[in-house]
Amino acid sequence: MNRFDLLNKIQNILKDNLVICNIGLPSQELYKINDQPNFFYMLGSMGLSSSIGLGLSLSQNKNVVSIDGDGSVLMNMNTLATIGNRAPSNYTLLIIDNGSYGSTGDQRTFTDENTSLKDVAIGAGCKNVVECSGDETVNELSKAIDDQNNSYVIISKINSGNVKIDPIPLNPITIRDRFRKFIGIVKYL
Amino acid sequence: MKISKKIIDNLKKGGVDFYLSVPCKLLANMIDILEKDKNVYYSAVPREEEGMGICAGAYLGNKFPCIMMQNTGIGNSVNAIVSLLQLYQMPIVFLISYRGTPGEPVGAQGGMAKITEDILQTLRIPMLHCSSENDLEKISTFSKHAKVVESPVAILCDFNLMKDDK
Repeated sequence: MNRFDLLNKIQNILKDNLVICNIGLPSQELYKINDQPNFFYMLGSMGLSSSIGLGLSLSQNKNVVSIDGDGSVLMNMNTLATIGNRAPSNYTLLIIDNGSYGSTGDQRTFTDENTSLKDVAIGAGCKNVVECSGDETVNELSKAIDDQNNSYVIISKINSGNVKIDPIPLNPITIRDRFRKFIGIVKYL
Repeated sequence: MKISKKIIDNLKKGGVDFYLSVPCKLLANMIDILEKDKNVYYSAVPREEEGMGICAGAYLGNKFPCIMMQNTGIGNSVNAIVSLLQLYQMPIVFLISYRGTPGEPVGAQGGMAKITEDILQTLRIPMLHCSSENDLEKISTFSKHAKVVESPVAILCDFNLMKDDK
């Protein structure tokens, strides 16, 4: 299973949640699979999906799922400590760990060598850290979202590989405003 | 404490209700005030760039965020400022302890001080430079301005303004 297959499998679970989706191919693939106003596509700032989702979960009550990648989490690992100490129960971090920098040509990341993001997350103080296969991810993610009392970090181990895909055609302000309209903040659209 | 209290009062008057900091000794009193304030959110964060991301998420969730940091933190955050906060036009207040300005005892802080305003200017971030107590009155209007123009803004507080705020 690669990232595109996994996103296809989980898209149904995501539909009532606020989703922050990582820059590059993850966002482009999710957009192509089933674009929704409650999906915030990152067009820049690699590494910050987990942090943006954390801020969003701290500021309102809807469930938040941050979709991040192994390469991106490696770039901003300190945020796992913030999540370990501050994440509220409406926060789930899904790390799609394919052991490679998919958007830049599938160069290997350190999770394909010695680094375990599961161990890092646990060491950083994160609760309910689950490492699972791509096939198990639907169940684990559903459980995490349904649990109103706990935050989760799910590391989904899948294969590398990408589908050929175009950049997202949406303007950043469109992404921002339709997302905030879904939350109920923007009234003028 | 008087200066720090005035800064927080003015930020709150400007509508700011979500605070993060990467600590600095010049920010210590403000952190004390915020930790006791039940009406706003406050947390420390390990790194400024990450803080920009958390602030962006808080803005999406309808908070008006402020990140407090040393001017060195701007250097850690340039890509997040440009390709997140500015790309999506997010109003975030940077409350910056301006290390390396006159009065600073640590010579090594001078390097970032020399280029801080140049970086902010290059990034086209509106600046409010506070060097005396009177300047602090401008903070509430300046914070509201961030929302009006949908842009991050920077408030720089000089070393000498903050150092004796016991």
